[in-house]
Amino acid sequence: MLHLRFILRQIAGSRNQAIIFVFCVALSLLILTALGGFSGSVRRSMLQDARQLHGADITIHSHYPFSEPLLKAIHDYEQQGIVQGALVNEFYSMARNPQSEKSILSDLKVVAKGYPFYGKVRLLSGREFSKVLSKGSIIVDQVLLDRLQAHIGNTLQIGSTLLTIVDVVTLEPDRPVSFFSFGPRIFIAAEDLERLDLIKKGSRIQFKYLLKVHDPALVDRLGEEFSAMTVPPQENVKTFKNADSRIKRFFENFLFFLSLIGMFTLVLAGIGIQTSLYAMLRESDYTIAIMKSVGATNRFITLHFMAMVMVLGTCGTLLGLILSSLLQLYFPTLFASILPANVTLTISWNVVFEGLVLGTIVVALFSFLPLLRIKNFKPAFIFRKEIEKSGGGILHYSAISIIILFFIGLVIWQLEDVKIGLYFILGLCTLIGLTALITEGLMLFMKKNTARSLVLRQSFRGLFRPGNATRAIIITLSASLAVIFSIYLIDHNLRATFIEAYPANLPNAYFLDIQPEQKTEFSTILGREAEFYPIVRARLASINNKPINRTQEREKRGDNMAREFNLTYRDFLLKDEQMLEGENLFGNRINALYSRGEVPVSVLDTVAENGDIKVGDLLIFKVLGLPLTARVTSIRTRTESKVRPFFYFVFQEKSLKDAPQTIFSSVRIDGEQLAIIQNTLAARLPNISVIDIGSTVEILAGMMHKMSSIIQFFTSFSIIAGLLIIISSIFATRMTRIREAVYFKILGAQSSFVVKVFTYENLIIALSSALLANLISHIGSWLVCRQLFNITYQPLLGSTAIMTAGVIVLVITVGLGASVSILRQKPIAYLRNERQD
Amino acid sequence: MSPNALEAIQLSKSYNVDSRQITVLDRVSLTVPIGSFVVIEGKSGSGKSTLLSLLSGLDKPDSGKIRLCGTDITDLSEDELAPFRNRTIGYVFQSFHLVPSLTAFENIAFPAELNRDPQAAVKAKELLHRVDLSKRMNNFPHQLSGGEKQRIAICRALINSPQIIFADEPTGNLDSANGEIIMQLLLELRQELMTTLVLATHSREISSKADAIARLVDGRIATSSEKVNL
Ligand SMILES: Nc1ncnc2c1ncn2[C@@H]1O[C@H](COP(=O)(O)OP(=O)(O)O)[C@@H](O)[C@H]1O
Ligand SMILES: [Mg+2]
Repeated sequence: MLHLRFILRQIAGSRNQAIIFVFCVALSLLILTALGGFSGSVRRSMLQDARQLHGADITIHSHYPFSEPLLKAIHDYEQQGIVQGALVNEFYSMARNPQSEKSILSDLKVVAKGYPFYGKVRLLSGREFSKVLSKGSIIVDQVLLDRLQAHIGNTLQIGSTLLTIVDVVTLEPDRPVSFFSFGPRIFIAAEDLERLDLIKKGSRIQFKYLLKVHDPALVDRLGEEFSAMTVPPQENVKTFKNADSRIKRFFENFLFFLSLIGMFTLVLAGIGIQTSLYAMLRESDYTIAIMKSVGATNRFITLHFMAMVMVLGTCGTLLGLILSSLLQLYFPTLFASILPANVTLTISWNVVFEGLVLGTIVVALFSFLPLLRIKNFKPAFIFRKEIEKSGGGILHYSAISIIILFFIGLVIWQLEDVKIGLYFILGLCTLIGLTALITEGLMLFMKKNTARSLVLRQSFRGLFRPGNATRAIIITLSASLAVIFSIYLIDHNLRATFIEAYPANLPNAYFLDIQPEQKTEFSTILGREAEFYPIVRARLASINNKPINRTQEREKRGDNMAREFNLTYRDFLLKDEQMLEGENLFGNRINALYSRGEVPVSVLDTVAENGDIKVGDLLIFKVLGLPLTARVTSIRTRTESKVRPFFYFVFQEKSLKDAPQTIFSSVRIDGEQLAIIQNTLAARLPNISVIDIGSTVEILAGMMHKMSSIIQFFTSFSIIAGLLIIISSIFATRMTRIREAVYFKILGAQSSFVVKVFTYENLIIALSSALLANLISHIGSWLVCRQLFNITYQPLLGSTAIMTAGVIVLVITVGLGASVSILRQKPIAYLRNERQD
Repeated sequence: MSPNALEAIQLSKSYNVDSRQITVLDRVSLTVPIGSFVVIEGKSGSGKSTLLSLLSGLDKPDSGKIRLCGTDITDLSEDELAPFRNRTIGYVFQSFHLVPSLTAFENIAFPAELNRDPQAAVKAKELLHRVDLSKRMNNFPHQLSGGEKQRIAICRALINSPQIIFADEPTGNLDSANGEIIMQLLLELRQELMTTLVLATHSREISSKADAIARLVDGRIATSSEKVNL
């Protein structure tokens, strides 16, 4: 039999802690729903409608014109009315405005009638896409108009022809976000493709056959049928069901990372739940002791407090739901820059339900330990009011193990990847363990501390008040700050290296698809020294006769080994290259290899690692469908990962010189010069693509920045958890603090003294947390920058100082805010109520 | 300067309990000469603690005036009173009221440190030695017995050599043997330091040692007897 009134009175008795508890529960629900809502929205709008994202039921990709048997099969089905097809070509090319003499690398999409089969291309004018795009006309991105100073009605030179701009595209169904693009979009009608004269030998053009299948039941069967006819590995059939776009993979990765952050915050909210519940129970110690001494069973008492937790948990859940619906309103502002405008950001019922279940489990888990304390609580407490060391016992440790196991399970379930899940947990444990360890050291130092100043000494003492969660606060705050700081530091270091200080000696312009016969003319136009690299495009068919598994490769988080690679040939190392394995590039037994029909190849360490390739392995490439059998003779590494051209596979000249190839060139050209050369090239050799690395890197950095701000948004939840624990801790030690304040005042301290003691106390907490966070984040970021990105690390002392100051102000404000009522306490009123020590 | 350590004139204090006014002190006047030992006697609930809190400036009277060691403290603010209290007054409470987060030694030294006394540590050690608790100097209050706690509290009250000590039933929470030791100590130290002592108690035995007794009955001082100093 439960006494509801008793439960309510307990809650009222420790209402401050109850509120914190409720907030922590609400926070954990908020994290789950916010994250779930965000990823749900992204999935629903951009990823879920696979058919729209795919643009068709079946697509066939190739980098070369389609093979005859395949085309014939498609035409047959078209004639029978089973499928409807539309050919799409995508490639980069220069677009030039003859009036303004400006040109820009653009992302061309040549589409046949019928495109898109699913979804709609939206135009600024609101007109129907298929009616607007016709022979001789183009539809472009607004960015292109701005950059070329062009207007609707102007003509642009693309390849060897002039086309008229008729409209502006605002949304492409099969490309919901455009930040992966090196240039603005231009839609061209299929009828104009020939006239462009851009499809040259070896140039990188994507051929895409979009097929709409009238009977949905036939999609899989037809997909398999076409697959069987393709020329592997260059032709590739995907249905909307098994397709996996780059966008999708990118967002999957990003959401994956966010869910890591979410888990992390959930743990911290859990610590908050635990801290406040401990405090609440401690406030009820006296009641519990009396109940026990008059014969109440553990079961009886525990049930009541469990019911209390349930009541509070429900309140927290409701609050969480209200807060998440408010957050939803803020979503569009937050994510507007990264998601297209039409994406609806809503939290679905599914997400709410999932959040509820998970939230309940988290509350249950983190409430378990505090509730366990009731059982071990001795009624003798009535006689001896001293702090008992809680903990110990099999139940205690098994409870902790269950919490850990649950989180491992949760992480693995959320991340859908056992290995990475375990890595994450390991990382999280290291982070928290490390902070805990250093915190322990700091605490030891603080305890031993005998500061000169009385105020300071009192503040240090204050940190060790019984019931103060100093340890938990510092660990939580510093761990969450460490994450936020690290993201900031890495983000800004990358920016500093690649954008603000783009190295003066590095090439900043890449020229692609130079035909061998254009080399002389190109050099004349360029008018300066340039590095030239021959490029042969090929796919890797097998490693040691084990065929590359396309589907598996697509799902991999690393580089896709099934993609098309750029092979090159030379017999020297680049300036930034070193031998890692092997004496020289091609080894000493070249003739032996050739006599076996094999050619030597040197592999870059990154791809070697990714594909598990070792010296002596046999790689079979397909160059335009023809096999090239290569034996790995060495592994190279790059000394710095600056923006510099690099090649995974390097061959001898004689192995590749007869293969269809283009030339790639990279040059350093500063200022206006680049625009002029770009323009001349666009006019004279329009098939050559120019990539302005400087501005491309800037686009990438902008995108990175958006990502990092979203990550920081979600991480900031964990700071809230930390602050809640601070408030809980101050409330938990309210009586002790009041007592101290009163005694200080009786003994002749002014109120400013008491304020100072409390402020310094929070200052110490803030400083320690910030210090720890800085230590961890700087070491972590340094490691990431040096080891992962190979860039020099700048500690960004200014920003570090600002962040540290921000933390201090925040913690002190929150701390003083929670202490206001304590500071106002009149000594006499306290003395009257206090009877015993 | 006035020869009195304390002059209270017509002090009244009442509390509102459930919208009823209870008058605890009704126009109480009291004079304590410098160096004397005055006991405020009365039954439990007679208003002794209330009177002490008014006299020592911990609370404000509804009406009346208080002069303490030459200063009119009636209208001083909390923060004006604090440094005055620190230097002029020592307190000993029934329930000790030691700061739990400070050691015995630190508790004693605290008022002197607040007063920026460079001799704080030396004085505290001397006092500890004086009350035979040198060995317990690094113990925290919860590690001390009631009698020990009160001895520490007395040291704390004395470290700034206050002109007046207020003691509210200092033996109330102690057994008779310990109570006796505490009283003895308090009186000895008072004698040594020539400090005025105002002590509230319901014990006749303690009253018998006082220079003067003020008996509180129904919110008024019923009798104020004076004993001849030997
Ligand atoms: N803050 C207060 N509110 C209401 N009544 C009070 C308050 N403080 C004291 N009293 C009442 O004043 C009377 C005197 O209390 P007190 O001075 O503590 O007596 P004593 O110390 O002699 O035992 C008591 O009846 C007590 O209930
Ligand atoms: Mg009393």
